[in-house]
Formats: sequence, C-alpha cells, structure tokens
Amino acid sequence: MPEVDPQPTAAVVAEMLTKRYGSLTAIENLSFSVAPGEIVGFLGPNGAGKSTTMRILAGTMAGTSGRASIWGESVALNPAAAKRHMAYMPENNPLPEDLRVEEYLTLRARLKDVPSTLVDERVAKVMEDCDLTRRAKGRLIGQLSKGFKQRVGIADALLAEPKVVILDEPTIGLDPHQILGIRDLIRSLRGKMAVLISSHILHEVEQVCDKVVIINRGKLVAQGRTEDLRRELFPNAVFNLITQATAAELKVLIAMHESAANVEVIGSADANWNKLKVTLQMHSPLREGLASLMISAGMSLREISEEHYGLEDIFLAATRRATTEGGRI
Amino acid sequence: MRHFRTLLAHELRTAFFSWNTWAAAGLFLTLMGTLHWFAVLECSRAPQAWTPVEATFRLFWLPLLCVLPLLTMRSFADERRQGTLSALLTTPASAAAIVWAKFLSAWLTWSLFWISFTLFPLLVNLRLGASGDQALYDSSALMGGLCFILVSGFLHVSIGILCSCITRSATLAALLTFITLLALTAIGGAMESLPIESWAWLGWLREPAAHLRTFGHLQDFASGILDSRPLVLYATGTLLSLGLAVLAVEGQE
Repeated sequence: MPEVDPQPTAAVVAEMLTKRYGSLTAIENLSFSVAPGEIVGFLGPNGAGKSTTMRILAGTMAGTSGRASIWGESVALNPAAAKRHMAYMPENNPLPEDLRVEEYLTLRARLKDVPSTLVDERVAKVMEDCDLTRRAKGRLIGQLSKGFKQRVGIADALLAEPKVVILDEPTIGLDPHQILGIRDLIRSLRGKMAVLISSHILHEVEQVCDKVVIINRGKLVAQGRTEDLRRELFPNAVFNLITQATAAELKVLIAMHESAANVEVIGSADANWNKLKVTLQMHSPLREGLASLMISAGMSLREISEEHYGLEDIFLAATRRATTEGGRI
Repeated sequence: MRHFRTLLAHELRTAFFSWNTWAAAGLFLTLMGTLHWFAVLECSRAPQAWTPVEATFRLFWLPLLCVLPLLTMRSFADERRQGTLSALLTTPASAAAIVWAKFLSAWLTWSLFWISFTLFPLLVNLRLGASGDQALYDSSALMGGLCFILVSGFLHVSIGILCSCITRSATLAALLTFITLLALTAIGGAMESLPIESWAWLGWLREPAAHLRTFGHLQDFASGILDSRPLVLYATGTLLSLGLAVLAVEGQE
C-alpha cells in the first residue's frame, strides 16, 4: 500500500515568525496560513520582508523565533520532510548556466526524490507544461532568455508535484507576453497545489490569487480575500456622475432615502452639467438604484460610474493604515 | 545516500567538462613532467643518493600549493556567488551530502592527476630500463609516494573545500587554501628546525611537531613504514575540515 499523506487544514503555516539581524528586525510576529490548493499573493513594498519570510518557509534561512510549517511538517525541526512537500523558486531564480535544461531538470528530479522510473516522464511533462520542449530542451541554460530561465525555474518547482510551491517574484523582468504565459501557468495550479507568490505587479496578483497577505516593515498589515479587504478598507461606495442637478438638489433627494450619504462637487463638465461625487454606505439600497431614483425625480443624468478599488488601492490603504496605526495584525 | 550518489555523479561530470579541471591537469602534468625530467637528467649525469621518483615526490608541495587550490576554489565559492547553492539547499539533499560529494569529486580528480603522473616514471623505465649505474625507476618509492599523496590528499582537499565554503570569491578561496596548505606543510619542518630541546618552556611542542612533519610522513610511506599516527592525523583533520564545511554551508545565509 503506498503511503498517503493526510491532508492538513493548512498547507503553509507561519506563526509569530520573527527574524532579526542584530538590531535590525526584518520581520516581526508574522502569522498567516495558506490552505491546500489555494493561490495566495504575498505583497509588500521593497524591504518589507517578503523574501526573508519566503526563505524561512523554504528552509534556507533560520528564523529568530516563531514557527513555520509546510504540510504539517516543521521547517526547523524536520527540514527534510518539509522540503519533500515544497518547492521554492528564489528571487532572481539562480540556475547553473553550464547545464542543459533537460540535464538540470533531471538532476533536480533525482534530488527531489522523484522515483527513478518516473524521472524521464516527469521531466518531459514539466517541460511540456512550461513550453520548454520545442525551444529550450537541449540548450544551455546560460543561453536562454530571461523568460525561458523563469520557465525553467517554475518547471523545476513543479517537478516533484509538491504540495506547496513558493515563488518569489516569478515574473520579474519579463515582457507582457511572458507574464501572461507565467500567469496562466500559475493559474493552472489552482486546486492542485498551494501556491504562495510574491510580486510587485499587483494587477497580476489580483488576476491570479484567491487571497492576499500584505506586509509592511516586517509586520502583517492585512490578509484575506480581495473582496473582503475591499469591504474592510473601503466601507463606502463612491459614484461619479455627470448631471444637470446641483449638489444641493441631489443631496436633498438622497437624504430622503439615506441620511449618511454625502454629495460633493468635483467640477463642471460643460454648460449646465455638473460633475458630482456621491458617497453611500456599501450596503445602501441606493447603490443599486441611484440612477433610477434620479431619473424618476426628473434629473438629467449623462454619466454614472462606481469607483472600483483594485488591489493597488487596497495595498496602499492597508499600508497607510498600518503606518498611521503603528502596525496591525 | 541516494542524494550523495546523484550529487557525486553530477560533480564528476561537471569536473570533466570544466575548462578549469583541464587547465589544472595541464599545469600539473607540465610541472611534474618537467621536475621528473630534470631529476632523470641529474641522475643520468652522476650517481645520486636518491632516485628520480623520490626527488620528484619530495617536491609534492609544488603542485599541492599551485594546483590543488585551482581544483577546489570554485566548488562552493562559485555556487554561493551565483546563488545556486541556496537552490540546492531547498531540495531534500542535506548539506553533508553536498559537502561530501564535492569533496570526493575533488579528491578523485586530484588522485587521478597523480596517478597520471606515474606514467612518466613508467615511460622512463620502458625507454631506459635498468641500464647504467643509477636505477632510474623505483617502484617501491613510486607506490609509497603515491599512497602518501592519496592519504594526505584527503586532508589537503578537505581544507580546499572548507576554504571554498567560507567565501563567495573563488580567488580568495584559492588564496586561503594556498596559505593554509603552506602553513600545514611548512610548520612540521619549521618546528623540527627549532631548538626545542634547549627551550624547556617549549617542550610541550615536541609531540605535535613530531606529528606534523609532513616530509617525514612522505619518507615513511616511501620506505614502506606503516605508522598509524599520520593516518589518524589525516583522518581526523579531514573529518574536522568537512564538519566545519557542513556547518559553513548550513549557516551560509
């Protein structure tokens, strides 16, 4: 009977992780988790401690205190078992330039305990999945473009079909076409393995990830699903509209339905047309019916749009909040 | 063990295809061939108290200081500089397996260099035979000298590996290896030349000095004397160096 690993509730657990270099604290009391099969974006400004956290989770660096585990195995106490469940692609993806792609992947497969009979098959599969077979299979790694080197790094990460994949800036330095390719590749891992991915490209993270973890100056400032964070950090719905009604007229109309709403003038479009900004509570019924309310009240309406808060806004709001509140967990 | 075998095979393959290894082999064989040639010439002119093989082996420190650092300098320093060591450490392969694989690969290469050198005396013997007053070929000295090189090579190579572990610069690693091997080779001779007998407060140095006489070990091996003390010295020195190398690799971040 083959040994079956029981599935833990969390694929990756960081619990009160702290790393200090002398008097400098790189990360402090960092706690978060990644569920099996989930893709999580790990975000933070430069120097926030993302790479340090990932290295600790990957077992290439020891933390000062706290606990890190991969698939239920402690990274510090049982590093070999933790590494068997995990693959890590470090930032800049260091590769031996004098090896050919196939040779390198074969070596890595053997080191990652892929059964001897499956090595060739797995190498062929990841090269196919990462689009390396036709254009890079027999080439020296040193001769490959940055995009193909990243693909080799990701192919290496997928070789042993790990439960957890940690990718530190996998799309750094790639052109838009290559980013799309890598994004599709990562998206295809959803449900198969837990992926923790750090990136500066927030749009990309938003496209790919189920959840985000945001850190700033080594401390956790927010974590959760993008939609939940959006609701938490932006409790109001904001509409921009162009209408012939004045701010005062609109305020009177809206106040009949919601007292907490706010209307302000943000400029004028052309003659008799005003640009107004209306702020409503997120759960206000007017959020769905503002346009029809205005029209039924005989107000001319040329344009109406709800402001959408992307991950970039969430990231900025979370880091700003942490700075003003002095950190938040 | 499986990781060790995989890594060793990879290291040997890398060494075989590396220009660095071939450059070191060229330098080694040129140096040793030249030394042996001059020793043979010297013996052919007038009878000597030594054979060409003995004379060449007594100059083992020359390739040890000039060639061995070239073999070991890149083993870890280059991997650390390129970041590939970190990537290697994310696999289930242990730091000990990585260190031992690199060590054994370098030792096998070093041994192969010296085994290749034995072709020179054999060629001399084949060409000139035992003609003349002076024996130009001495098989016992050849085998004894080779045994000394292979046994002491464990310690010498492990020192090179350790030096390569503690820096990201291959040049600095070579320099550190050179200095350490120079000290190790010279210290025994230097201690022997000190008037330790007349300095009572230095009496405790007599024992260590006796252990560290590298040229004496060569003499013993060449004479067929099997003394366990140098064996213990080289074995413990090797284990200590490799143990420190494992710690250096584990703590590389």
